[in-house]
Amino acid sequence: MLIDALLVLTVALPLLFAVMAQLVEFRPNRIAASICITGLVLTFFSTLMLLALALQGEPAKALHIGSYWGVLLFDPLSSLMAFVISGISLLVHLYSRRYMAEERGYSRFFIQLSLMTSALLLMVSAGDLVSLLIAWHLVGVLLYFLLGHDVSSKSAHRYASWTLLTYRIGDIPLLLAAVLLYQAFGTWSLQEIFAQLQSVPDIKTIFGLPLAETIASLVALSAFARSAQFLLHTWLPYSMGGPTPVSALMHAGIVNAGGFLINRFAPVFLHTDLVLHWVFFVGLITAVIGSVLMLAQNDIKKALGYSTMGQMGFMVMECGVGAFSLAIYHLIAHGLFKGTLFLSAGSVINHAREDDGVPKDDLYTFVVERRPAVMKRPWLLMAAVSLIVPIVILAMAHMLVAGDYFHQQGAVVLLFFGWVTGAQLIFATYRIRTENIWRLIGLILVSFTIVVLGYAFISHAFEIFLYPNESIRDGIYQAAGIDIFWFDLLVIVLTLTVVFGWLAAYYTEHNARHLKARAQLIRQSFYTLLARELFVVTLYRRLSGFLLGSATRLNVLLRWY
Amino acid sequence: MEYLLAAIFLPLFPLSILFNVLFARTGSNWLRILLITVWPVTGVYIIVLLGENPPQWIVVWAALTALLYAFRSLVMRELNRWTAYMATSSWALLWLVFLPQSESSAQWLIATALVTPLIFMVWLTGRFEKRFGGVYTGLINGLAINTPRMATLLVFVVLAVIATPLFPGFFALLGMVNKLLPVIPLVAIGVLMVWFLWTWSGIRILQGLMVGPASEDCFTDIGFSALVSVMLILIAYVVTGLTLSGGLL
Repeated sequence: MLIDALLVLTVALPLLFAVMAQLVEFRPNRIAASICITGLVLTFFSTLMLLALALQGEPAKALHIGSYWGVLLFDPLSSLMAFVISGISLLVHLYSRRYMAEERGYSRFFIQLSLMTSALLLMVSAGDLVSLLIAWHLVGVLLYFLLGHDVSSKSAHRYASWTLLTYRIGDIPLLLAAVLLYQAFGTWSLQEIFAQLQSVPDIKTIFGLPLAETIASLVALSAFARSAQFLLHTWLPYSMGGPTPVSALMHAGIVNAGGFLINRFAPVFLHTDLVLHWVFFVGLITAVIGSVLMLAQNDIKKALGYSTMGQMGFMVMECGVGAFSLAIYHLIAHGLFKGTLFLSAGSVINHAREDDGVPKDDLYTFVVERRPAVMKRPWLLMAAVSLIVPIVILAMAHMLVAGDYFHQQGAVVLLFFGWVTGAQLIFATYRIRTENIWRLIGLILVSFTIVVLGYAFISHAFEIFLYPNESIRDGIYQAAGIDIFWFDLLVIVLTLTVVFGWLAAYYTEHNARHLKARAQLIRQSFYTLLARELFVVTLYRRLSGFLLGSATRLNVLLRWY
Repeated sequence: MEYLLAAIFLPLFPLSILFNVLFARTGSNWLRILLITVWPVTGVYIIVLLGENPPQWIVVWAALTALLYAFRSLVMRELNRWTAYMATSSWALLWLVFLPQSESSAQWLIATALVTPLIFMVWLTGRFEKRFGGVYTGLINGLAINTPRMATLLVFVVLAVIATPLFPGFFALLGMVNKLLPVIPLVAIGVLMVWFLWTWSGIRILQGLMVGPASEDCFTDIGFSALVSVMLILIAYVVTGLTLSGGLL
């Protein structure tokens, strides 16, 4: 009974308070903002109670509101996501109170923000496909209006419409998946569908395709559009024309929806063979391209956009290796730090205008003045330290958490990324001009160990909380796994690549100054390619121009009738 | 012969040109409202009277017509003509609900869900024309600042026309895809394409009219009571759709 009431309140409160704020919108004072914030505070407490109940081990439960559709779901995933969304949204509401004070449409902004929160909460709590589709679709529409809050800015609206259209592209596969599931099982209820799929995992759908594989592919496509995966990413770096609080909410909450969706459909992914492999591949490509494009931007907001793209790629990649719960941990962690970045960006710029506050130390000369070390340390020793120390720390941390960790292929793949990241960290230290490099490396390694241990413990706790059933956890890793021979071969090849790659990087940094002129030329050509964002945006502009031109020609031909 | 007649009222290209010419040449707004209400109802009635499901080639033709007009509406800058294109596109889709085993009540519900927002649209366009003469994107802009109440109505009505949830059009299209996918999958995918084009088109028309700086000219907005009345009707439309959504799906 308590859970039922809390579920309804969680979705209804922001909506109800948004309606109340709308009723007083015409008043000159700022009462609408206060009403929306009050609604969000109550919602936050409601989600907090739901999360507490989930942590106490309350079993999953579905609340049927409508007779045909309209089911709200209480389970670890929905309660955790609802808590995160309401928390971040509350912060954004509070921040916007003063930040948006000078803006036109102040009340409208808060009303839309509360409606967006309600839609997001419905999305994570939806227990049936129709509710999920409605929320999924509404998030896109509301985001369009929030990004286009400045009704005099044509560019803000143009880029907001890119976002909406990409989201609509992502809606189509999800809708197809919903209809195919309904056709197969005769119900919209997610719980019933997953239960039935468990008993007939090999069922076929249209064109004789395997249902689970088809649904998982469609769900993944939908998640790609929402989480700005490569080729569906262009809206993200360009949607900075909206108000800063909207950017914070978008980067902290909305863009992560892809990871949530894949987790929601985990019981379907369980019965697939190939889908998670290409999910991994798309995530990998996105992570690499997003990160590289981020480095090439001279506009800080665009750089943040591409940084989010890279992070989303990593999140999707985690799903691809079967680490579903890790993706949820990642999206929460990313949401918190990216939200903080956006919300503090304004005050940082203000402070920096008066005093940059950067100490002119070794780190400054390396990062800002880009002056690498003159005094070189023994490169072979440093390379060995870079390669061995991170892998030892990572392995020990993981073995401490779960002894059988290395039996899961996905975990080994992620270990590689941790390894490369750790090595990169030490390589950066090697290039810094400092008198006491061992002290610096020592400090970095201590930080690295704390981060790795924290990550290993928390991700393990997330796994137990979100997927208490061990067979599901193992099933997902199995679905993401490949043949053991090929996996071992890949591990060997990648290990050799990483080792020789790093040795080459250290050697080049230490010795090969004569290679610099030639490298500079290649670097410039590559930079041009990156500066033009790999021409993807240009391609899409041309394509939409062609379509609109064709429509005009057709209309002229038919005399506009 | 009956199908030919039905193809005029639930317009199939090139017979669709007839409706578009008639709509464009009708000067009175009330006549336009009448036209946009009676025209599709007549079409649906003819097919219901026929008592048989249309052959598959007509269904494919209807889907292509819907796609054609949705595509053409992308660049339409005059609000009245845009409404006519959207009407042609959505009425062509009504052919797709006459499938084997589909219930007659569901057919009428879907027709009502798709036709009603167009009636709102024509009425609202008439209000705009009264104030501005013609309603062209690019010629008129900044409505969100200059006439915020009418702009609010325009946003909601356009969202209803392009079948955004929670408007009944959403459930109508979802129901349509649900019934078509197992029977004619490619046509169901065509419907989704039409839906996508509607969104693109709707956003373009909204952007063209709503966004822009404040005008130096003074325009009269509609009264608060008129805004509330229309909003209440729209809410009733949404609530009715939600109540009957089971029948639409």
